[in-house]
Amino acid sequence: MNVLLVEDEAKIASFVQQGLQEQGFVVDSCGHGNEGYAMALDRDYDVVLLDIMVPGMDGLAILKALRQAGRNLPIILLTARNELDDRLQGLNLGADDYLAKPFYVEELIARIHAVVRRSLGERQNLLSVGPLRLDRITREVTCQNQQVELTTREFNLLEYLMRSPGRVLTRTQILEHVWGYDFNPGTNVVDVAIQRLRKKLDPLDAAGWIESVRGVGYRFYQPGAEG
Amino acid sequence: MSRPSFRWRIALGASALAGGVLVGFALLSVWLIYQAKIERLDAQIEIALIRIGRLPPTDLPPAPEATLAGELGLNDNTAVALQLMDASGTVMYRSNSWPDTLRVPRPRHSPPERTDPRSLNPVLPRRRAAVILDTWRGRAGRWRVGTVNAPRGQGTIAVSLAAIRQEMALIRRIYLLTIPGGLLLVAGGAWRLSGRALKPIYRLGQSIDQVTARGLDQRVSTTDIDQEFEGLIQSFNAMLERLERSFHQASRFSGDAAHELKTPLAILQGELEQAIQQAEPGSPMQQTLNHLLEEVRRLSGIVRKLLLLSLADAGQMALRRDPVNLSALVEEQLEDVALLAPDLKVHGQVEPDLVVRGDRDLITQAIQNLLSNAIKYNQPQGWIRILARRQAQRLSLTIANASRALSDEERSHLFDRFYRGDPAHNRQTDGLGLGLSLAREIIRAHGGDLTLDDTAPEAVQFTFWLPL
Repeated sequence: MNVLLVEDEAKIASFVQQGLQEQGFVVDSCGHGNEGYAMALDRDYDVVLLDIMVPGMDGLAILKALRQAGRNLPIILLTARNELDDRLQGLNLGADDYLAKPFYVEELIARIHAVVRRSLGERQNLLSVGPLRLDRITREVTCQNQQVELTTREFNLLEYLMRSPGRVLTRTQILEHVWGYDFNPGTNVVDVAIQRLRKKLDPLDAAGWIESVRGVGYRFYQPGAEG
Repeated sequence: MSRPSFRWRIALGASALAGGVLVGFALLSVWLIYQAKIERLDAQIEIALIRIGRLPPTDLPPAPEATLAGELGLNDNTAVALQLMDASGTVMYRSNSWPDTLRVPRPRHSPPERTDPRSLNPVLPRRRAAVILDTWRGRAGRWRVGTVNAPRGQGTIAVSLAAIRQEMALIRRIYLLTIPGGLLLVAGGAWRLSGRALKPIYRLGQSIDQVTARGLDQRVSTTDIDQEFEGLIQSFNAMLERLERSFHQASRFSGDAAHELKTPLAILQGELEQAIQQAEPGSPMQQTLNHLLEEVRRLSGIVRKLLLLSLADAGQMALRRDPVNLSALVEEQLEDVALLAPDLKVHGQVEPDLVVRGDRDLITQAIQNLLSNAIKYNQPQGWIRILARRQAQRLSLTIANASRALSDEERSHLFDRFYRGDPAHNRQTDGLGLGLSLAREIIRAHGGDLTLDDTAPEAVQFTFWLPL
């Protein structure tokens, strides 16, 4: 999958590029708005990541110009500025998604997959790893054709783990994603929730798919990977 | 403590002043009228006496009192008495109506100028030519007594003052009735006038309220304002301008600082995330990196809140206005509370389908802030109570929890930024310094308000309302 990254901060561009490449993306990066716009018009990308504050044309201007030029490719905005304003404006201008800095590369990857699937008209509601199948719309989880009853939080937790198999997700990361920014009462809510989830998956021999990473967090086992 | 209503005081003061003036005026006029009447009577008595003095004693008409009354211009029911004495002091004539106890000193031959009628009331000694006039008080009431001493003898006319006193009583009654009426009129007028005088102040107050609600960039208009208040409004506007400038400086500073911090934080977070993925799973290195990432996230949280607060302060918190089912949101959070703090007694009472229009993320954050506080600052084996209901056109959500006893001082600082209920600044109370303040700003940006309720010292209770 080809990705264009328009980002003037070299270090951010570097780790995003690296993170995406590890996932098999081909990433072109550029640090100037005008140049980025030319590249987006010139080449055929699957997705464009736009930082809003770049020299030359800013992200919103590029977004607007691309839409006016009739380019309907998925675009994700990245910004460090007033996030609420930009979020509204960006989505109104036709951005497909929006990420506020600082963000997790894992989150960015998941969002890229989502917008690309959406643009291809693929069914993006089904997530399937190993024996587990998860439907984002009906919010049903099945394991070897048996349904697993999960609470809202448990479902969100499993979905979060399953969408990045093989990736270590820290407790903070999980807490923020599943519970929200400010739910940090300093307790082991993640561990308790994981235990419950495992208990429900255990009768189906699927509990082992959620691996603990000592002192850090959890990760979903990636089929075919070792270690 | 504020003083009683200014308007009331003005109305009361004006009435008191007018009352004093009116009463004084009434007293003075009663006295003057009385004096005038007496004076007129005196003049008549004098004329009559002089005429009688010229008559030979035998020429008295059969009922001299009636004639006398006519001469004196008195009405019929005013008693008049006459007494004539010769030079030796023998009473030659005395009316039947003569008051028993009224005694007139015997006539003397000394010049009238040196007459000293000590036996008579010395209050109104008045002499005209040879006539001595005085007021006599006795059992038969008050009488005006005029005496003329002539070498031949003495003539005295006494006129009862009952009629004059009755007239005076009537005048007093009229005053007694009209003065309170006048006072009421004055009080009413003063009330109205003070109301009109205060109206520009009320209007100014209203404009000021609007100004503060709409942001500091507003100014109170000076058009259509009385000259006297123009200076006040100009001073107020000038003050607002200074306030706006310094406020914007502070707000922009924290906004800019927060923004400048975001890029390095993004770099730190990205690099750490990547390093964690590359590290040996469960290795000490990975754990250290994880701790670092946690701190970076904490820092990001503070920066994010600072930015939101500075936007709220500048009145620029942009909101999405989507329907948000608050009942579902609160129920979901309640599940978390049960998971997070199993030893707390959680009592939730949430009316179903309370839907507000607003920004889901922000409202969630406000509720999370309140709930995490309720958990963090709870007591062992404590309790949390949540009540969400419809009240008129509003949604009201109350979150109460057990707490260590808080002083009024501590309570008054709860909404302060970076204030911590626990002075120990321990890490358990992390991030609270901005949470409550931010929650309140979020609720206010949605057109509602968040307040701390009065409770027993061992409890803390917050209530917010949002328009439905």
